[in-house]
Amino acid sequence: MLKLIIEKELRDIIGSTKFTVSFAACSVLILLAFLMGAAGYHADVARYEASRRENLKKMEGLTDWMMVRNNRIFLPPSPLGSLVAGISNDIGRTTEVHGRGELPQDDTRYGEEPVFAMFRFLDLEFIFQTVLSLFAILFAYDAISGEKERGTLRLSFAHPLPRHTFIAGKLIGSFIALALPLLVPILLGCTAYALLGVHLTGDEWARLALIIGAGLLYFGAFLTIGIAVSALTVRSSSAFLALLVIWIFAVLIVPRSAILIAGRAVDVPSLDDINAKKFRYTEQLFTEDRAKMGGFTPAKTGDMRKMVEEFQKFMGSIADERQKKIDDFSSRLDEERANRQALQSSVALGIARISPSAVFSLAASTLAATSLSLKDRYLDEARGYQQTFGKFMMDKTGMNTSGGIVFRMRTDDSEKPVPIDTHELPEFTYRPPTLAEVFPPAMTDLGLLVLCILVFFAAAHAAFRRYDLR
Amino acid sequence: MMTTLIMKELRAILASPKFSATFAVCSLLILLSVGLGIREYRTAVSQFDEGLQLAAQNLRTQSSWMGFTTTTYRAPDPMQIFIPGVNNDIGRLSGISGMEDVKLKHSTYADDPIFAIFRSMDFAFIVQVVLSLFAILFTYDAVNGEREGGTLQLTFSNPVPRSTFILAKLAGSWLGLVIPLLVPVLLAVLLLLLAGVPFGPDHWARLGMFFAVSLLLFTFFISLGVLISSLTRRPATSFLLSLAAWITLVLIIPRLGVMAAGAVDPVPSVAETEARVDAFARDRWDQQMKVMETRWQARQEEMRGMTGDEREAYQQEKEKQWSDEDEAGRQAVQKDIDDYAVRVNEDLGNRQRHQETLAFVLSRVSPASAYQLAAMSLAGTGVQLKARYEESMRAYRTVLMRYVDARKKATGEQGGFRITVDSQTGFHFSAPRERGTLDVSDVPAYAPPSVRFAETASASVVDAGLIAVFSLLAIAGAFVAFLRYDVR
Repeated sequence: MLKLIIEKELRDIIGSTKFTVSFAACSVLILLAFLMGAAGYHADVARYEASRRENLKKMEGLTDWMMVRNNRIFLPPSPLGSLVAGISNDIGRTTEVHGRGELPQDDTRYGEEPVFAMFRFLDLEFIFQTVLSLFAILFAYDAISGEKERGTLRLSFAHPLPRHTFIAGKLIGSFIALALPLLVPILLGCTAYALLGVHLTGDEWARLALIIGAGLLYFGAFLTIGIAVSALTVRSSSAFLALLVIWIFAVLIVPRSAILIAGRAVDVPSLDDINAKKFRYTEQLFTEDRAKMGGFTPAKTGDMRKMVEEFQKFMGSIADERQKKIDDFSSRLDEERANRQALQSSVALGIARISPSAVFSLAASTLAATSLSLKDRYLDEARGYQQTFGKFMMDKTGMNTSGGIVFRMRTDDSEKPVPIDTHELPEFTYRPPTLAEVFPPAMTDLGLLVLCILVFFAAAHAAFRRYDLR
Repeated sequence: MMTTLIMKELRAILASPKFSATFAVCSLLILLSVGLGIREYRTAVSQFDEGLQLAAQNLRTQSSWMGFTTTTYRAPDPMQIFIPGVNNDIGRLSGISGMEDVKLKHSTYADDPIFAIFRSMDFAFIVQVVLSLFAILFTYDAVNGEREGGTLQLTFSNPVPRSTFILAKLAGSWLGLVIPLLVPVLLAVLLLLLAGVPFGPDHWARLGMFFAVSLLLFTFFISLGVLISSLTRRPATSFLLSLAAWITLVLIIPRLGVMAAGAVDPVPSVAETEARVDAFARDRWDQQMKVMETRWQARQEEMRGMTGDEREAYQQEKEKQWSDEDEAGRQAVQKDIDDYAVRVNEDLGNRQRHQETLAFVLSRVSPASAYQLAAMSLAGTGVQLKARYEESMRAYRTVLMRYVDARKKATGEQGGFRITVDSQTGFHFSAPRERGTLDVSDVPAYAPPSVRFAETASASVVDAGLIAVFSLLAIAGAFVAFLRYDVR
């Protein structure tokens, strides 16, 4: 019997013009998201490569590693980031790495090119979140009330048909009829993505598959909500209105206002204040050190080279001491802010998760590794690189070059200086999180989507048991 | 006849449950958005005030004109309550120093990405996305719904000209939807007054024009709904068509236009440009070092054969001249670098503007993006916000650095400290003429650029006109389509 209902539902949906039109529109959009994503990814890679190239070029021709005071590293674009942008365009991608000290993240995509911030991007996440959810309610709103209006509901129940079979058949049937066809453009899009030269690793394919899975679950959630509302209302027009209001709230209102309200409820220490404190503390330490510098007298005068060496060592050691103090001072302030930020985001996101749309968006960005944690991860990776870079400079020059003052000896008798080989510089490789790392945090959200489906299915079932078929 | 028809239309709209539901939702949204916007604005103001205080404090603690730095902040504008635009996406502040170019850093979204996840919910967004959807929702069955209900034939059994009917339809739906919306809008304005947001006459004029443009967009979507309704026989079809039109116009075209422009006309990254400037700077300093070296050698040459005391005396005598020479050289190099940076940035800026123009032309196909552009122009929070601030901060940097140079000259200060190395006597640190703090009472202050109503209005007039043209086309289309409509 269930099979029969499912088949009927399939035939009903697939045979309708509504389906043809909206399926065609969605397919175009999905394909467009992949094509534009690939184009965007290539453009991002080109910009990234150009930044790296120019960065190395500015060091070419130097004859002394001493002159390399810092190195710039860049957050590389990721193929999944072009499909699920998350916050990847909002955080700074360029970091200036000195042997020690702060690691600022500058140059956000939206800050650099605000034109993209005005309208944002048409990515896969957006299409799932906004367009496909609308598509789902468009088919679900008259699932029950529409059949009632047409009279086919009474006809169906003229047969010995349990109500739960009918409602389960409705849901499964419409899911198969609507979600499975969507897999066609999605798979085509994936193929196009690969054919257009975007290289995804096996791990990334698996994550993409999970993102698509999350999208289908989210689609299912809206379908179930639609059927539940349809079973709760008598007229299909009021079902549609109610669903549209639910959709507006879930997609547009709840996530935004939850973050705005909850985010402002938890106070986070001001970054400007922290930076000013750090600046003042550094100045103060530097003034203190200046007195120490004044007191420096080399043990052996006469041998210029030895003297400079001793001086460098001295400067290095006071700079190290100073930096240690600054680091202690900064890390306390930074940690406090980070803790408050973490609390803020857990409260804000906790509330936003009322909306399945926020849940999907969080799941997708977690899986694509473009969620909030991207910023911290990049910072961690940069810290790792800072150590490597510091050590490298130590090997090359005998000192950590960010000490403030660098002494260079130039003697006339030496032969023509040899330029440094910039390729010796340690390379920064950003290690994106693996599936094993992103899956556990995404699990909660995927679970919430499943829960949402179950709850609304139960609601639909309960409502339909009492539904007046006439 | 016309009035009767309009009254009928008004009654039909106002009495429907659909209307109560959407009216409640819209009112709630508008009030919520303005309430949250005022809060955001207050946060921004206190952040700005704090920033100014910190900057002043830092000025006072600096001990030397050499390496004098300060920080300038972008001032919040109350218009951002309604239209935040790219305000949270671009940096809030920029360091001002002799060595580095102006660069806006620390955007709200970069500092606190939690707010970037779902972005803001502002008035302009609600008009563009929610109200447009509702406009379509109320009008998609304006004509064909009456045909299906049979009331259309009934109406035309009376001597009613078709033109009167369709115009009454349009006017009635417009009045029925617009007048109730005035209630939450007026409440929002009241909220603004109660909250004591500093709104000058200029702001009111801009806000008034913004409301007018919003109304224009709303009109467009109402007419579009009526047009689609009078082109189709069944409401189910027109509903699907309207929804597809809404998705395309509001959600797709604006984004697609910008992305297409980005793909056709990519702009090099700031990091790349900066590296170019850095490379140039390095070369110039390298050259300068060589010049300095020969100069120092020449000076040593002058002192050849002098006794220690004579040397000392000679150095003392020449100190001022030498340091002026060195300083002049240093300044010349810095000027070269600044000029180069200006050239490179101008080039980048031009390419960016080119890309933006293309993006806007492409996205203006949709009145929804024309609306967004008009709104942002009026609020001064569009892409031009960044350019405006960078320009004014650069001008300030020039003024400040001129002042600092003058102070340096006046105080004869040569920098924080000096190291001399001598193979006989070893290292000497000295801090010539160093004082505890500087007199910063007459350091020029930074005045954020202000936006005048006349400028913003003329910038938004093209887009407003565009929406008006789209609306007129839709109205004319509906009119013509209905003249040929089969009322049976």
